Amino acid sequence: MSEQVGFVDILEPRRKPGGIVGFMTRNWYPQGTMTLDKKYSPQDLKDLVANSMYMNSIFESICSRTGAPKEQLQKLVNKFLEEMGLDKKVHVIRWMGVLFLKICFMMKIKMFVNEAAVFDLKSIMGKNPVLFLPTHRSYADFCLMTYLCYHFNIDFPAVAAGMDFYSMAVIGRRMRETGAFYIRRTLGGDALYAVTLKQYVKTVVAKHAAPIEFFLEGTRSRSNKSMPPKYGMLSMAMVPFFSHEVSDITIVPVNISYDRLMETSLFAYEHLGVPKPKESTGGFLKALHNLNDHFGNMYLNVGEPLSAREFYKQNSNVLNSSETSKPMDLQAVTPEQFKQVQSLADYVITLQQKNTVATISNLVALVLMQSLMKNEPLKLDEVYTEVEWMIQELRILGAKVFENDVKGSVDRILVVHQKMMKLDHEGRLKLIYANPTELSDEVKKKMKGHILHPETMATAVSVIQLQLYVNPVLHYLVPPALVYLTVQRDPITTIGLKEQFRHLRKMLSHEFFYIEAEEPQIFKAAIDYCVYNGVCEYDSETDVLSLGKNSKRQFLLTWTIWPFLATLYAAIEIMRQQRGPILQADAVKLIQCKVEDWQGHPYSLSLEAARGCLRGLADTEILIKHRWDELAYEPVPKNLLLSKILISSITPWLDVDFDNNNVVFNQRLQARL
Amino acid sequence: MSAASASSSGSKMKNVENDNSSKTTVGSVKKKSSSDKNKKSESNTNSTIIKVKSVIPKRRQDLLKWYGWGYKDSMFKLDGNTATFTGNRYSIGGHTLPYLAQWAIEKFGIDPSREPKIPELPTKFAESRLPESIRVELEEIAEVSVDGMDRLIRAHGQTLKDMAQLRTNSFPRIPDAVIWPDSHEQVEQIVSCASRHNFVIIPFGGGTSVSGAVTCPAKETRPIVVLDTSDLNSILWLDKEQLLARVQAGIVGQDLEREMRARGFTVVTARGVFEKNCRVPRMSCGPEWEHVIMGSEGCFGVVTEVTIKIRPLPPVVRYGSLVFPDWESGFHFEREVARQRLQPSSIRLMDNEQFRFGQALKTENTWGGVLLDGLKRLYITKIKGFNPAKLCVVTLLMEGSAEEVSERESKLNSIAAQFGGIPAGATNGENGYTLTFVIAYLRDVAIEYDVVSESFETSVPWDRTLALCANVKQRIRNECAKRGIDKYLISHRLTQTYDAGCCIYFYFGHYIGNCADPVSTYEEIEEAARDEIIACGGSISHHHGVGKLRKKWYADTVSEPGRQLLLAAKKALDPDNIFALGNMAFEEHSNNSDVSVKSKL
Repeated sequence: MSEQVGFVDILEPRRKPGGIVGFMTRNWYPQGTMTLDKKYSPQDLKDLVANSMYMNSIFESICSRTGAPKEQLQKLVNKFLEEMGLDKKVHVIRWMGVLFLKICFMMKIKMFVNEAAVFDLKSIMGKNPVLFLPTHRSYADFCLMTYLCYHFNIDFPAVAAGMDFYSMAVIGRRMRETGAFYIRRTLGGDALYAVTLKQYVKTVVAKHAAPIEFFLEGTRSRSNKSMPPKYGMLSMAMVPFFSHEVSDITIVPVNISYDRLMETSLFAYEHLGVPKPKESTGGFLKALHNLNDHFGNMYLNVGEPLSAREFYKQNSNVLNSSETSKPMDLQAVTPEQFKQVQSLADYVITLQQKNTVATISNLVALVLMQSLMKNEPLKLDEVYTEVEWMIQELRILGAKVFENDVKGSVDRILVVHQKMMKLDHEGRLKLIYANPTELSDEVKKKMKGHILHPETMATAVSVIQLQLYVNPVLHYLVPPALVYLTVQRDPITTIGLKEQFRHLRKMLSHEFFYIEAEEPQIFKAAIDYCVYNGVCEYDSETDVLSLGKNSKRQFLLTWTIWPFLATLYAAIEIMRQQRGPILQADAVKLIQCKVEDWQGHPYSLSLEAARGCLRGLADTEILIKHRWDELAYEPVPKNLLLSKILISSITPWLDVDFDNNNVVFNQRLQARL
Repeated sequence: MSAASASSSGSKMKNVENDNSSKTTVGSVKKKSSSDKNKKSESNTNSTIIKVKSVIPKRRQDLLKWYGWGYKDSMFKLDGNTATFTGNRYSIGGHTLPYLAQWAIEKFGIDPSREPKIPELPTKFAESRLPESIRVELEEIAEVSVDGMDRLIRAHGQTLKDMAQLRTNSFPRIPDAVIWPDSHEQVEQIVSCASRHNFVIIPFGGGTSVSGAVTCPAKETRPIVVLDTSDLNSILWLDKEQLLARVQAGIVGQDLEREMRARGFTVVTARGVFEKNCRVPRMSCGPEWEHVIMGSEGCFGVVTEVTIKIRPLPPVVRYGSLVFPDWESGFHFEREVARQRLQPSSIRLMDNEQFRFGQALKTENTWGGVLLDGLKRLYITKIKGFNPAKLCVVTLLMEGSAEEVSERESKLNSIAAQFGGIPAGATNGENGYTLTFVIAYLRDVAIEYDVVSESFETSVPWDRTLALCANVKQRIRNECAKRGIDKYLISHRLTQTYDAGCCIYFYFGHYIGNCADPVSTYEEIEEAARDEIIACGGSISHHHGVGKLRKKWYADTVSEPGRQLLLAAKKALDPDNIFALGNMAFEEHSNNSDVSVKSKL
């Protein structure tokens, strides 16, 4: 397939003796994103902001209101700028590059890039700012694009980083010198900080002739799949375009897929409510130690560049707002423009999804999870066959699968995931369960969730880790799964189905992101898949869908969506018990508790999933959301009842014994024997 | 005079304020009154809006004289033969004016020994006709008052008739409510509310109209709501690079108005918001519709926001004065300065009457000052041979860098010399401008001692100016003689110059004597004077406007097609006649005409 062509391991040439040093010390004449008459240094950028007419007007407005001396405000803004401002020291970048390559080799990583797309991108660069918008699944994302740029002679991107890194000794500083700029996560408190950041981002986009990189999702997705975007950063970055300071902005969606995430187990714990450890240099060094292992491949799929101008072609009023009659520097994003930024951000997330590369990790995880669900371990030969089958199914569903040597890849990935899965003495692939450990009191105090039984916890952590590798391809499977589960209840007309489908999709929209505009096609494709593959049957006379005969596919669709529907059901049940508003933090604990009682799929215990379900229920007016000091939800009893009837009718109840499963390599049992 | 402006240094908004409050007329009162304001802290910190402390308080009567011109604390007082000017807002404030009473007796024959006629604070007002339900709806939008005093003092401008009716609380119609919006959006809501409920809106700013424009139309039967713009006084942004600022239209200050030239604005009309989509120094795009709004005297909508040009504060401000043997030589001097385009920031020619009035306003002086004055007079009258009954004075205000100002001054002096003029010092110049501010107060004390007076202005081409001045003066003298009025004053001054003409101000006042209806008599004479002005090639008005006072001449001035255009514009912008001010060519509203307009549509 054409998508497979052109993925190249860009680390390969560095594996030669002396490959690293020679490469990192070469002459460096990068290609910028724009040709400006003046080149602005990092300090120039900060000065531009500090002396801008916008900041000046803000100062005067604040002075006139509060009487605060202007000098004091200026000082404060300079402090903010020192805190956020990027820096660029090429020698630091070279050293960091050496370190990066050393670590990559230690992790035995291959970094696959669709080279042709990068060359295409370079050929159109030079006219206007470029935004790199990668998916965010791991801390590693921060370095990858920077290294990619170095490799392909593109100027280093200015990367927006959270303040967590700022406080890290040495590393915070070094990251800044490789072009990172720091932003506070919440701007609510300090209005002056917010305007400074706004002006800084705008200035960097318009005057820093290098790519700008930030993560639309705002944080690492703990579930290894796309999350709904945050809009603030993009709306700030788009200002120079709306004010016509730049003619266009090129947006490059990038999907980064990992064979193995460094954070897998941390994420699994976070799902269960164990708080994430604070970023620190000590932690980083400790993590380094764990990196001496096999981490497999990474795929950087650079998407086709999207021109903002093209995107808004149909919407010319976005570019001709009344704001144009203001001084350029004071032009703000109008509510209409903000809406358009939102639709752009949403669209980019779907592009990231479409650029997903289904890795061998995902495929093996699907196969192993399925065998866990059936409680039937597979021999290695059977694993190969099943992986082939999964590839075929995913390709039918439109996924990009970059595998031509299944046998070799599976063997390789078993080494990569040797802590998670292994072959038993009969050569059957099994999931390894972690040893139960009692949580320390300190951790218990900080737990965001319900305190789970240590054995439940151990089981859950292991299954969730496996689920994290199933998640990235779920967005292909969910639409047909919803169709199938609705049809297996009772035959239904496509018109009736469409209504239910919409409703279900909306409730699950925080788990499985989508945009309204593409839903008609997605719905049609889901039905087509079901009908053409024996999942459902269609009678065109009556327009009725009924159950098909292909039980294998039916089972695949059933178990993949099961944990998500179960959490949704638990959320509905819990909210039905509420007489009034309940804090989100309390509600998710109750949901988790309920799921533990049910002994269902461990992923249903995920707090993130529970939060997503509550939000989805609020979107569909089943709950009322209150933005008090803390988020709270209030039940709408009538709608809750209706949704309970719907969800209970489609949620599958698989009888899977996770604790004593044949597909599990249970160290606990062995230890006891 | 010196611009409210953006000097590159420091806190220039403060400058604006200080500047204005130091020399000001009521129209531009920039006094920090700590009243009201900031009820809602709408201004989130990431806005660039500068909310100026409201200049005129919502209760105007707390700061301003309710029955006359200007500040409550500033007025002329006569006590026997001694006159004083109270308060300390102007340079003559608190001083005794030893020559003024004598001058008034000679000129008007007043009796300074009797009590001045100062009106009682009214206690009875017409019932507000605004229905309770609409008032509640308006209160949702902005602050509303139906208090009698609040309504009375916004029923009028500053014409003689306004003053006479105000002092006797005899307006045939006063507004039914006052509302103070503080944003463009609120004005939009108010106008749409008016459209829904069919009530009348009268936009009200400084309240210094001298054309009757804001005076409530007597026959209006719908409720009248005065939209007071004094709270629309934020500076929305200020661009020191482009020397532009965007301000809300209620921001006051003659300096702001004069020096910052409008560069486009936003108007809320009954049919929606009217504004240009760009901010450019010049544009070729059909007729300039902004001019349809500019000067529409409130009949089309409410101006909410204005983009204005700003200039840096000049480093040097210098006054000057020149004395000429007579009006004609002074006039030729002005003409020549205009021809060479050497006008400084201000250049004004006062006639002999005004010169002498200025002398009458002199305060008590020190010995040295008297001596110096005496020497000057000796020089002018004896050595130069000027006739004290004919000589005229030019006052000058020069701004710029020190070199620019000196250079300009010497050029002006040399032109003056060609026409027989001689420099008369900076103090006389400055006094001349002080006179401009306090002259408005004079009318109040005049009324109190039975003198009715008023000023009116016109613009005229250079070649007709001398004839116009002479003829108008003569016409007034004739009209007075016809009515048996022998105690009066007629004076004029030339205040602005252009390439092709100038602006002339006339001052006329007479002792009421045996007049049965002195205000009407005054109005008849002014009307005759305006007829004469127009016959002599002058205009209906240089800047005061048409209002209700000069409607008679409107159609002839703009021709019939012009009048039709105005009516058509009204139909397009305000078909329901929400802004029923009845100025220019518009009928004063009655409900019948409303019906007829609707049936035609």
